[in-house]
Amino acid sequence: MLYRTAGQFKTSYKSDMALFPVRQDAVLLMVILGFAWVVFPLTASEFAFQTLLIPILIYALAAQGLNILTGYAGQLSLGTAAFMGVGAYACYKLVTLFPWMNPVVAILLSGFFSAGVGVAFGIPSLRIKGFYLAIATLAAQFFLVWLFEKWGWLYNYNASGAIQVPNLEMFGTYVAGPQASSIVQYYVVLVVVTLMTVLCINLTRGTLGRSWKATRDMDIAAELIGINLMRSKLTAFAVSSYVVGVAGALFVFMWRGAAEPNLFDIPLSFRILFIAIIGGLGSILGNYLGAILIVGLPVVLGTVPQALGLPISSAMVEHLNIMIVGALIVFFLIIEPHGLARLWALIREKLIIWPFPH
Amino acid sequence: MKTLTKLAGAAALGALMAGGAMAEGLYTPNLAYRTGPFAATGIPLMNGQKDYMELMNARDGGIGGIAIDFDECETGYSTEKGVECYEKTKGKAIVTQPWSTGITLQVLPKTNVDEIPILAPGYGFSPMADGKVFQWAFNIPLSYWDGASILIKYLGSQGDLSGKKIAFLHLDHPFGKEPLPYLEAAAEAQGFELVPIPVGLKEMQNQSAQWLQIRRERPDYVIMWGWGAMNAGAITEAVKTKFPMENMLGVWWAGHDADLKIVGDAGKGYKSVSWSFPNPEAPIMADLQKYVVEPGKTLSNAEEMSGVFYSRGLVISMVLGEGIRVAQEHAGKAEISPADLRWGLENLDITEERLEELGMTGMVPPFSTSCNNHTGHSGGWILEWDGEKFVKASDLIMPDSDMIAPLEEKAAMDYAEANQPWPVNEECGG
Repeated sequence: MLYRTAGQFKTSYKSDMALFPVRQDAVLLMVILGFAWVVFPLTASEFAFQTLLIPILIYALAAQGLNILTGYAGQLSLGTAAFMGVGAYACYKLVTLFPWMNPVVAILLSGFFSAGVGVAFGIPSLRIKGFYLAIATLAAQFFLVWLFEKWGWLYNYNASGAIQVPNLEMFGTYVAGPQASSIVQYYVVLVVVTLMTVLCINLTRGTLGRSWKATRDMDIAAELIGINLMRSKLTAFAVSSYVVGVAGALFVFMWRGAAEPNLFDIPLSFRILFIAIIGGLGSILGNYLGAILIVGLPVVLGTVPQALGLPISSAMVEHLNIMIVGALIVFFLIIEPHGLARLWALIREKLIIWPFPH
Repeated sequence: MKTLTKLAGAAALGALMAGGAMAEGLYTPNLAYRTGPFAATGIPLMNGQKDYMELMNARDGGIGGIAIDFDECETGYSTEKGVECYEKTKGKAIVTQPWSTGITLQVLPKTNVDEIPILAPGYGFSPMADGKVFQWAFNIPLSYWDGASILIKYLGSQGDLSGKKIAFLHLDHPFGKEPLPYLEAAAEAQGFELVPIPVGLKEMQNQSAQWLQIRRERPDYVIMWGWGAMNAGAITEAVKTKFPMENMLGVWWAGHDADLKIVGDAGKGYKSVSWSFPNPEAPIMADLQKYVVEPGKTLSNAEEMSGVFYSRGLVISMVLGEGIRVAQEHAGKAEISPADLRWGLENLDITEERLEELGMTGMVPPFSTSCNNHTGHSGGWILEWDGEKFVKASDLIMPDSDMIAPLEEKAAMDYAEANQPWPVNEECGG
């Protein structure tokens, strides 16, 4: 009913391959964007900004970066958090070395550093595949975190060994640091994430994206039809690490405000991998759905007992939370192993042919 | 649509939470960690804190006639959860008790904007002592630099330190690195050699590499800056490598009864600096028994209540309670604001007489704070493990404030400069 496609005729190949072959998809996206750009900022409380809106967007972006590499190009990586760290530390060095630099420019530039590091650690992917590559990226994870701890120049020789975001101004308002208001930070994150998402959608639908998919599906066949595997794999590492690096810079500068090296350790890598897998590998939408489930849901669940006035101790709430979220992950993976994005695709298909299923 | 409804629901719930009604009284949330890798050390502290406030409510009807709404928000020692808790509670709270150096670091710069006092008793950033710069932060009654100074002073009293070698076994984390600036300065001034040995977060339970280094270096003393699983790891490793226990000393967080009970008699002689001490004869313990334990309001047990950490929890809540009391007297009303509480915490005067009134004689050294002294620098005792429990091994030792004060001032100014614009309270006398 809502998704009736009757009357939407496609008369050219181009319109058939359009981003939104069904008009309702475009309308739905507009509604979501409307919420993200107007309704949430107007209605959200400080708590909602800091624990739901901003982190969901940032985690979704990081998962999107990983998804390019793992979902589209088929290269399993366990070093996401370390590449986020490279972005964060690069951004920190940029804004402390060049205090006049526009913070958004610094965030976008810092992605290039992690892209460089990503390519360097991606070189082994030309020879090794699958789980063995995962181990190689694991080396990046350990090495980079060790570097963040030991290389004093990176954190300006702070006694605590942590980086602290200074107050950064842009056009007369604070966008980062303790003086910045949540709504400003939200909009900065939203602009960057929107920009990156548009970039990713276009890249994955273009020549580059197709060569990635060919590499993922069968690299020998891809090579035989003339795809340069080295280029395809290394561009995947570069684009992925760029996006992940930008997410890392946002993570620290627009949300956390401070970071110690072990923040970028393996648990964060796994968290992002889970978002990508549960959301759906090889999809853009999935990253957002995954981030909502993994990052947003625990926060919401944690507030339920208190909002209902149930007398449960906070430690108990935490235990329950872990159990519920774990059970939900298992549940979603059983009903749809290809992730939430695939689940949504199925629902959408059913809606289109509803009420005549045959 | 799913996305939408979920997000909308989330936002609605978030809004509900922020504006939701809380129980009546002064809201003093505690960012507790009863779950996660550090729960074993967290639980006795949290129980002590909670029980003190329960006692206040049950025996005196709160403080100054108003009930204390002591609430916990679980962080599991995770910084991310900690910030979530901070955001959740800051609307109504009159104080933040972040309970982890990572969370403190994150919340510290926000306090000037949100204007809520941070109470970080015995942890956090040592330069927070400088109340001119850190107007909203308190690390009562001792900072880490004070603790390191007391340890060095104690070692100095055991024999001249020049030419000696001291290994500094620490967690490779902001918390563990905290005393390094002081120890380096002290090594230079007193002519001993300092060997910093970091323990990575992943190596906490298995410190064989570090202890191999200690055996090779043959230090005269080992000072340990450990927390959680690292303490038990270091102590068992020290016993295994037959390091003379009487030459091993720890910070107050490394003086946890349960860690030493694992090795029992073999741990005899191990020392830890402390600013709190369990006193089972103190009147407050009898009151706790009567008003909190017997009505079944406690989560603790008799064994835990006789330990060092539980009594430290009591002391921490006492500091907050006294801050509230002083603030109420100053403001002339029971329902104080965060700014009033800040005044209260700045004007604490915990004397021996006051401790006796509170029924806490001997549980904490007397101290007082002021506008530019947010720590109090109470001094501390050296506790020694006798095979079964910790006993006092020294009189009260005062930190070397002459040496620490300039370090604090410099570090505080550096911090303010790096975080421009940072308001400095020039009204405080220097």
